[in-house]
Amino acid sequence: MSTRIRARSQLFALATNTFREAIRDRILYSLLFFAGLLLLVALAMQEFTIGDQDKVVRSAALGAIRLFGSVISIFLGIGLVYKEIERKTIYTIASKPLSRWLFVLGKYLGLMGVIAVQLMLMALLYVVLLTVQQGFPQSGVFLSWGLLYLELALLTAWALLFSTYSSPTVATAFALSIYVIGHLADDIALFGRQSDSESVRGLAEVVYWVLPNFEVFNAAPLAAHNLPVPTEMITGAVAYGLGYTAVVLVIAMMVFSTRDFK
Amino acid sequence: MSTDSVLWCAGLRKVYRSGFWRIPFVGLESLDLEVERGEIFGFIGPNGAGKTTTIKCLMGLQHATAGQARLLGQDFRRPDARARVGFLPERPYFYQHLTAREFLHFYARLFDLDRGVRTRRIGELLERVDLNRFADVPLRAYSKGMLQRAGLAQALINDPELVVLDEPMSGLDPLGRALVRDVIFEERERGRTVFFSSHILADVELIADRVGILVRGELRGCGSMGELVGRQVRHVDCTFQIAQDHVLPGTVVRREGLTVTQRLDPDEVNPTIDAVRGAGGTVLEVHQARQTLEALLVDEMERANPVDKKRLGVLN
Repeated sequence: MSTRIRARSQLFALATNTFREAIRDRILYSLLFFAGLLLLVALAMQEFTIGDQDKVVRSAALGAIRLFGSVISIFLGIGLVYKEIERKTIYTIASKPLSRWLFVLGKYLGLMGVIAVQLMLMALLYVVLLTVQQGFPQSGVFLSWGLLYLELALLTAWALLFSTYSSPTVATAFALSIYVIGHLADDIALFGRQSDSESVRGLAEVVYWVLPNFEVFNAAPLAAHNLPVPTEMITGAVAYGLGYTAVVLVIAMMVFSTRDFK
Repeated sequence: MSTDSVLWCAGLRKVYRSGFWRIPFVGLESLDLEVERGEIFGFIGPNGAGKTTTIKCLMGLQHATAGQARLLGQDFRRPDARARVGFLPERPYFYQHLTAREFLHFYARLFDLDRGVRTRRIGELLERVDLNRFADVPLRAYSKGMLQRAGLAQALINDPELVVLDEPMSGLDPLGRALVRDVIFEERERGRTVFFSSHILADVELIADRVGILVRGELRGCGSMGELVGRQVRHVDCTFQIAQDHVLPGTVVRREGLTVTQRLDPDEVNPTIDAVRGAGGTVLEVHQARQTLEALLVDEMERANPVDKKRLGVLN
């Protein structure tokens, strides 16, 4: 028998197993149920809204998709590697002719598959309900979901990084902090620039450049107003999202490679 | 290192560091070991001796602090050194959401086996570990013994040249242990090498061609059962019917009136028998207690730390 083992096959095995594990987990369905419920509530708001009712409804529904997408990314991402170590399933996997970095990448890709499916399900529900209520949505909304997927890819990479060295409780706290800071990045930068203190300005600048800025991916307000998403925003977000995610994943792989499984 | 060496390590050392101050703790002192092709090698030692640490370092689960090791001639730090190695950890845990068949397909794909080879081998292995009736039942419904058998099947999925088993008989019922023993013998029949750790010494005596004794992170003895235990007599229990009460050498094991059982060193036996007969007594029974692996291990533990043996209360 040849001992030449293709990394591609191993990656596929790990990713499909992660995908299968997540879709057989009841927690995912509970989260999706609540996401659907929130989406329905958002679309039902038309009855209770004054002013530009359609816009408010679109905005609330897209916000609900974004929120649940992030919640699912964090909660599945933080358990991704930790659970393998805690349940000791890692023993029979890391002892195979498999590089540690490949394990991290396989798990990540499997989870991104799950997130793609849940995002598509929520998007499908949105399209069906909105078509009934307001007509078929404009193209901007689909682009906004593409950018949201990039945002979730980055958020999941951060959750995975925390999962490689800390318990789920600590990892959840870190991942939620990253989520909040990432949505306030522009405000933090603005606050820093307006400060008189040199050190506060410097710190805010460091935070702005080192920690993620999730608002880069936020095309939902444009989509809610039925405005086109500028090409510069798309290319900038794609470059930023892919580059930043790659860096976080490489750090996660490096951290995981140094670990001893006791 | 011999050319027929399947597993070789020199100066393998593992130091753990724990707590805020990173206090060091030596898990494995400096291990030199060689396992030859086609043999069953038993790795024994008390709990905490470093057996699992050794195996985890060799299997890429922990990073050795120092030393060298080779698996089938390849540096153990390279993941592809484990391409022809099968491994079953102690108390294995598997994905509960998979059935045994899915579980084996998953591991087979980690070895990049073709679908045809995978399906054929999984069928054979399920049969071999007597799980074919439960092949499509999720692992969460399996008993401990069934999980161990499923684990054994995954350890053999790549038709390994070297099979490493960490406490494979631990917690199994007699039937389960017999099945594991049969699989180990079958692997040797097929020319494979089996390296297993165990603290069930009766199993090791029954199965192993060679044995390594690990105590406190150090290899205290290594050799074939004959070399280690041999035909060496540990002590002799002699039962005499003595004519009159008099002092005999050795220690008294049992005494009922003038019937006395004495534990003697081998060189004390003939003079004592002569003395008893000379005094008008008779010899009723002579029983030689041979060296056992357990006694050898206890001796090594005592040499490593005299307190151990007293604490265990196993002196005789």
